[in-house]
Amino acid sequence: MSLKFLIVDDSLTMRRIVINSLKNLGFDQFVEACDGKDAYDKLLNDNSVNFVITDWNMPVFSGLELTKAIRGHSDVKNIPILMVTTRGIKEDIIEALQAKVNNYIVKPFTPNVLREKIDQILANT
Amino acid sequence: MKKVNNMTDLFAKLDDLKSVFRYGEKLIPIIQNIIEFMRETVPLLENINSSIEESTCKIPKATNQIINVTNATEVATTEILDLVDEISNNLSKAEKISEHISDQNNNRRKIWEKIKLQLFDEALISEYEHIESDVQVTSEQKDIFSKIKEEIYRITLSLQVQDITAQQLAAVNHLIESVNNKLSSLITDFQYADIKEPADTFLDKVAGATFDPNARYHDKKEAQDIADSLVNSHYEKTSQTEIDKLFL
Repeated sequence: MSLKFLIVDDSLTMRRIVINSLKNLGFDQFVEACDGKDAYDKLLNDNSVNFVITDWNMPVFSGLELTKAIRGHSDVKNIPILMVTTRGIKEDIIEALQAKVNNYIVKPFTPNVLREKIDQILANT
Repeated sequence: MKKVNNMTDLFAKLDDLKSVFRYGEKLIPIIQNIIEFMRETVPLLENINSSIEESTCKIPKATNQIINVTNATEVATTEILDLVDEISNNLSKAEKISEHISDQNNNRRKIWEKIKLQLFDEALISEYEHIESDVQVTSEQKDIFSKIKEEIYRITLSLQVQDITAQQLAAVNHLIESVNNKLSSLITDFQYADIKEPADTFLDKVAGATFDPNARYHDKKEAQDIADSLVNSHYEKTSQTEIDKLFL
């Protein structure tokens, strides 16, 4: 299956780093969004996106709110969501899992961890 | 009899008055000391107040400068990423050229093997083959290319520090603003007046201050290990043993 990623982060630097990492892993289709609201709009308007990688702390609409919104919309509720964030404390991770993210990466990440989590998500969905 | 009683009362009251005066005599130096203390303290308090006021006026400038630092580092990081991309592209071109040369060399070597059969001067053949071996694209070169690529990629990953630092700075800004608000309310209470905004410091509000105050740049795996263990236990399928236990 060819994957088209929606990369959601308010930091341009982080979006570029994630995209570079995905390119290194052999992926080549990406859409970028600078906050949760932007991501949600893009996701609903582009049905070819089939994987979301999102930050948590963002203006307008956080990654957590985005996750909840996606899980609550019948058209996109099954899309895999990987959260990549600096928030590494247990309570935050549990909150993200309760919002139904598929996996969780704590920044700064390494390419191996990114590959591993994408593989795990694809194997389980 | 009544007169005598009145006199006794009067003397008692005079005694009380005397005690009050005696007490007053003792109290006056203390009151003088207090007045002296206040005389010295009030300018100090005024000084502290004006210092707080001055500091409070400077805080918006400080937060503004922190925002500028964040923006500057983002611009600089983007420039570094642009350069890294450019180096990567040039490296890929060099790699393709190298592969092309390698293919050409292989073709030439095949032809040379045929030509060699037509030649009889062994010394010349040997001399040519010695030179030829020097111009081959070796596997060592390929290793160097992939090592450079790997190192470039590591630079890219290290730039995650910008995002993490930006969040730390945003957290510091938030803290400074909280202190600013406290100081402002202190001055307002003290002077019954609003704090003046300095004319030269336009404060950009930290729009939707979204940051993780605990953001850290580190290469330790602890946080990811916690995430992995929680994710695994969350999505772990219930084992048959656990299901069986429910039916016991």
